[in-house]
Amino acid sequence: MKTEKKANITTIPFLGDIILSGSRTLIGIALGLLTSGILIALSNANPLVAYGAMIKGAFGDIYAFCNVLVRVSPLLLGGMGVAIGNKAGIWNTGIEGYMYLGAIGSGLVAIQDWGLPSALHILLAVIAGMAFAAAWGLIPGYLRAHRGVNEVTCTIMLNYVAIYLTNWLVSDAGFFAESGAFFPMSKIFQDSAQLPILLRGTSLHPGVFVGIIVCLIFFFLLKYTPFGFRTRMLGGNPNAARYSGVDIKKQIILVMVLGAMLGGLGGAIEVIGLRHRVYSDFVTGVGYECIAVALLAGGNPVGVIFAGFFFAILKVGGATMSIETGVSSSMTSIIMALCVLFVIGVGLTDNHRVKKKSNKADAVAVVKQKEE
Amino acid sequence: MSYDIIISWLQATLRWSAPLLLVAVGEIFSERSGIINMGIEGIMLCGALCGIAASFYSESILVAVLATIVLGAVMGLAVAYLTVSRRTNQVVTGLMVNMLATGATNLLFAMMSETRSTRVGTFPIIFPQAMQRIPILGEIFFCQPISTWIAFILPFIAAVVLYKTKWGLNVRAVGDHPQAVATAGLSVIKIKYQAVICSGIFAALGGCVLTLGEVGYFASGGMTGGRGFIVMAAVVVGGWDPLRTAIACIIFGAADAAQLRLQGMGSVIPYQFLQMLPYLITVVALTGMVKSSHVPKTWGAAYDPDSH
Repeated sequence: MKTEKKANITTIPFLGDIILSGSRTLIGIALGLLTSGILIALSNANPLVAYGAMIKGAFGDIYAFCNVLVRVSPLLLGGMGVAIGNKAGIWNTGIEGYMYLGAIGSGLVAIQDWGLPSALHILLAVIAGMAFAAAWGLIPGYLRAHRGVNEVTCTIMLNYVAIYLTNWLVSDAGFFAESGAFFPMSKIFQDSAQLPILLRGTSLHPGVFVGIIVCLIFFFLLKYTPFGFRTRMLGGNPNAARYSGVDIKKQIILVMVLGAMLGGLGGAIEVIGLRHRVYSDFVTGVGYECIAVALLAGGNPVGVIFAGFFFAILKVGGATMSIETGVSSSMTSIIMALCVLFVIGVGLTDNHRVKKKSNKADAVAVVKQKEE
Repeated sequence: MSYDIIISWLQATLRWSAPLLLVAVGEIFSERSGIINMGIEGIMLCGALCGIAASFYSESILVAVLATIVLGAVMGLAVAYLTVSRRTNQVVTGLMVNMLATGATNLLFAMMSETRSTRVGTFPIIFPQAMQRIPILGEIFFCQPISTWIAFILPFIAAVVLYKTKWGLNVRAVGDHPQAVATAGLSVIKIKYQAVICSGIFAALGGCVLTLGEVGYFASGGMTGGRGFIVMAAVVVGGWDPLRTAIACIIFGAADAAQLRLQGMGSVIPYQFLQMLPYLITVVALTGMVKSSHVPKTWGAAYDPDSH
């Protein structure tokens, strides 16, 4: 009965899709939070108190919420980077590596005292970061397009390479590392290369708005431009795309490099906006959270905004939860993973049922036509 | 390079290859049945912690191994349920299992603070002291723990199982022609479940060997260091064949061992570049040796029993 109802909803054009996919995602998230609640209870804490602490930690006051806005910026940019890949049927799992490269590129520019006006210095730093990340993304993109190398394994291997590269740059490279520092870090960025703080007393920088704007831009790019059409066609049916004249190899590389540039932008903004130095391991784990963001969003750019905020709230609230209830903050990554697993677990089979239903309906229609 | 360094490098090569070999054997069966189990990195991580914890609390290696097998089977079952029954995307499922495992092991390890300070019992060395002192042979082979020996025999057994037994034939057939298997009256779903659970068990055992084979402790946050993904690359490079995959695993193990030796020697190259070595070799190997002809025909695709 249930499936029939859902099938009926899907017959409403456009809106039906949104209701169906939205409700599936919400059911998945609810199941994820429920299961995580059981785990919190098992680790000797009251789940309701823990979730309460989480909400207080994220929305308790203006500083807490600014913290959410700061944390969401790399998730939006990185998540969008993964989401473009999803649309094209490519797994761009190298966001972590792109973030490190973006940070290195912008850091190399930002530590220089060129006496530039602030806007120009920031612009140059961001461009350098994106260029470094783009070059890094070109490697798995080229290998996938021309050599058929699986992009997941390749990008994850390159993530480790990027981590060690950053590690070397901030600890031993004389031209980049702070000498005599307590623990490995780069030289401090020039004031002119730091993003402005929007609210006194917080660390709120414009990164979150950049993230939202980028997501909206890609929403229109993917939906209304030839580039978007080619990308979706590549994801939907690569053979059809090839026969209709899409240069698949070029498109794969383009999608990978675009994802890399967004990841690089995320890393660059993280260092010039928040950290003002490059540290080793400064975004460890964020790359994988970005993948979770894109998955929860189902590859939809507007969904990325919601999913990014959801995870940022979990992360900021998770720290408060950890302090108040003693549950380790590792719980947040468990909650994220469980939510995504439930969303995909609930989602796909429903999708399948609906499809089968409509296939049957088609078959019935065909039979009827023949009878007539 | 002096004699001692070469001997210790070869010895470490065998030791570092052992976990990779175990994980690879399971993954081959899973991928041959058409399911890419990307969760092996996470399952390996859980197995590593499980081995340490069980060995610490029970003070018995046997109990630790059995507990790891149960854990691996349960995680394999979860992956199988999602990818086979719910037909979720295999990449997504694997990546999320890894994320879950990273969070869970960090959480549990933080709670088991008492295991940190103690070095737990490790796999025993079966050969007597006298044999271990034989030059070269003894130093390289006979001072290896029993886990290394098992890990090196396993690919041969796997090859026999895969090519000579009925179950191996079924697994290969399920990966290449699921419809034919279904027509022959066998359950495709059941065989896929068996293969994926098998990969879960071996991945967990690989993690267990990583911690209990030599070091005897667990390190929070990335103990496995991408080894699960290196194994996935080895399986592709080895063309889904147990013996060729084993050779690839040994090469990656040798790179791992070499970078550790070179770091100790204080070379002119910064040590971080040496640490990149296994990962770079993996990328290069993938680039040079991908042969699409060996790919199981339904590799990574969901099997829908009603689709025909």
